[in-house]
Amino acid sequence: MKQVRSMTYPYVAWISVMIVAPMLLIVLYAFTESGNDVLTFRFTLDNFVRFVTDRVFLAVLWRSLAIALVTTVICVLLGYPVAYAISRLGERANTVLILLITMPTWVNMLVRTYAWMGILQDEGVLNTFLGFFGVGPVPMLHTSFAVTLGMVYNFIPFMILQIHTSLDKLDKNLLNAAADLGADRLHTFLRVTLPLSLPGVVSGVTLVFLPAVSSFFIPKLLGGGQYVLVGNVIESQFLTSGDWNFGSAISLIMAVIIMLSMYVTRKADVSVASAGKE
Amino acid sequence: MAEEAKKLIQFKNIVKSFEDGQVVLKGVSLDIYENEFVTLLGPSGCGKTTLLRILGGFLQPTEGKVLFDGEDIVNVPPYKREINTVFQKYALFPHMNVYDNVAFGLTIKKEPKDVIEQKVMRMLRLVNLEDYARRNVTEMSGGQQQRIAIARALVNEPSVLLLDEPLGALDLKLRKEMQHELKSIQQEVGITFVFVTHDQEEALTMSDKIVVMNAGEIQQIGTPTEVYRRPVNEFVANFIGETNIIDGVMVQDDLVVFEDKRFPCNARGFEPNEKVDVVIRPEHLDIVPRGEGMLKGVVKSQLFKGMHYDTVVETRAGTSITVKMQVSQDKPVTNNGEKISASGFLLDVEDAGELTDAKVIALATAEAWDAETEEPVSIKTVEYDIEPKTGEYSVTFSTAAGTSITVRALVVRENRVESTVYQEEIYAMNFFKKVEDIQESMALDTDLKMWANASAWSLEDENEQVEITDVKYDFDPETIVPGVYDVTFSTEGYEYKVSATRAAEEGSEVGLIFRGEDLHVMKKGGFR
Repeated sequence: MKQVRSMTYPYVAWISVMIVAPMLLIVLYAFTESGNDVLTFRFTLDNFVRFVTDRVFLAVLWRSLAIALVTTVICVLLGYPVAYAISRLGERANTVLILLITMPTWVNMLVRTYAWMGILQDEGVLNTFLGFFGVGPVPMLHTSFAVTLGMVYNFIPFMILQIHTSLDKLDKNLLNAAADLGADRLHTFLRVTLPLSLPGVVSGVTLVFLPAVSSFFIPKLLGGGQYVLVGNVIESQFLTSGDWNFGSAISLIMAVIIMLSMYVTRKADVSVASAGKE
Repeated sequence: MAEEAKKLIQFKNIVKSFEDGQVVLKGVSLDIYENEFVTLLGPSGCGKTTLLRILGGFLQPTEGKVLFDGEDIVNVPPYKREINTVFQKYALFPHMNVYDNVAFGLTIKKEPKDVIEQKVMRMLRLVNLEDYARRNVTEMSGGQQQRIAIARALVNEPSVLLLDEPLGALDLKLRKEMQHELKSIQQEVGITFVFVTHDQEEALTMSDKIVVMNAGEIQQIGTPTEVYRRPVNEFVANFIGETNIIDGVMVQDDLVVFEDKRFPCNARGFEPNEKVDVVIRPEHLDIVPRGEGMLKGVVKSQLFKGMHYDTVVETRAGTSITVKMQVSQDKPVTNNGEKISASGFLLDVEDAGELTDAKVIALATAEAWDAETEEPVSIKTVEYDIEPKTGEYSVTFSTAAGTSITVRALVVRENRVESTVYQEEIYAMNFFKKVEDIQESMALDTDLKMWANASAWSLEDENEQVEITDVKYDFDPETIVPGVYDVTFSTEGYEYKVSATRAAEEGSEVGLIFRGEDLHVMKKGGFR
């Protein structure tokens, strides 16, 4: 037992240096003024005050949460039927389709997003096609539609995989039992399949919402300059304005929001799992 | 009862084959009456669960009809059938509590809430779980889950309840309790139960009617007493309870001969001198002093079982044969950077006259090779003086460089023993073996039989193989050294399992008695 414990030391050290220390640095930066040297820290809450009092920043935060939420909802609505359909197929078709769904994630996300720029721009594939029917060109790039599309496209595989896993684990005898007790297909789905696959939906929601709320290059590429999200603000604070302290403060605010949303989904997960307990 | 009762379910010539070509049901016809407790009994893979699933609507038969109340229900989906199932592993809904699980069927039918509550609580009371309504099903023990599953099915007031090995997951004590509970529940609700099990005791305890199945076919349908007392064939007799099955001949009505003695019995309808199987249950045999016995034998073993002794009495020994096994250590000879190896071998007298060098090399698996490069070296000369007479001869193999090895060859006659008393013959041959073959053998008895080519058959019918049940030798296979060893093969004698009330010493000579009416006579290999 002791030996096993001592074997974890390298990992503890790794986690401390590579994860815990940077996070502590972010906290430190968020609560200090700029222009500190290593020995003298001037603590302040100004960074946070600046964020919550500036209407522009609040609007950006609101927009980020809204677009992440919309993305998540669309992913659930599109992903669930796909996952359900796949899980009803035979074992071989199952494996092939899951492979196909995972395959795009082997290509860098940035490359795939660039591809969407080509498709959506005014001279792009889609508008050329519409042009045959005398429609357009419809401006699609640099709209909230483009950003949402990019996010759904990039994150939906996670949703499908999570839901598929929970549907796959479902004991087929339960479906037989429901049919045996008089439930037709619809009722079997609503009363048995759906509630038992909710944990998969919940973890899918977590996996989609979190990256969506903090993504910065999808809005940057597909939203252009017009469509700024929190991720972009943080990026510009660090890379353009050089205000690391304010950037850290926004990061910290996002971290808290993310932790809160994780807490909420976790709670939902638990209450789903024990729905029978009253 | 069967005559007046209504036929509720009729299987008409059901055939079921799966996509991989496996035929699980080979034309099963069966009538199930109202209010019957019917058990489908058979070993795993006999098709009993498949038949149940066809009745439940989860499988479609390949051929045949299922009539329910006179109507074909093959194409009726499960949720429209007046049949409910208790699944093998219960299949309770893990996200619902006990109450909601039981209420599931009623809420689907949209019955009023107060009616549902009444019915559910009544069911929970029936299975003794009324205090657990709000518990989560995953917190319940196996026996409780079992009862929830029964309540969940029964609350829908089905005309038939299907139970798929429902007691399989429970421990012995709980299983016995549930057997009684199930039977009393069935009597109380008064509906048809179709119960699937591989446990013959369970079937005997609970059923009104037992359907014994094997290999996709029904073997026998009857009450527990019928299938136990009057099995139709060897399979049923062996599957239900401990039994002794003896070869006999029906001389005339009510008179059977076995072990060369005549015994009166209650059996008619056989041809004169027809060969039959005679069944005697262990509890119908008793041990008496040798002089008073109807059969005489030797006590082979005895186990104390509390109420009685499980005793085995052998009334005649099997046929046996002893062969010699020559064990050699196959060490290659080294000379001038060459190695040569060969092992002793065995020849039939008839083959000894017409030998060639190549044949001898093959028999001895002789080979030579370069010690360093492992390249084969050809064997130049083979010297032997084998004559077509039984005896031991030596054979020498050598290469051009003079590396040589000498092994023994044994010329033998076919080695057979005939036992005319019991009309059996057994055959085996002496053989050569290497030490490592014996040490590496995973199943030595089987390998010895194969090496010695041992087999036994009936003299009355050459095609009837007799099993060699005993292989005896007096060496330790782990530590065997080169030499000659005796190996004895024997067939099983006639042994009787007896539930004896008195102790008898192992090896003592005793007599066996039974009553003629306890003998049951079956047609050979017969179906009905």
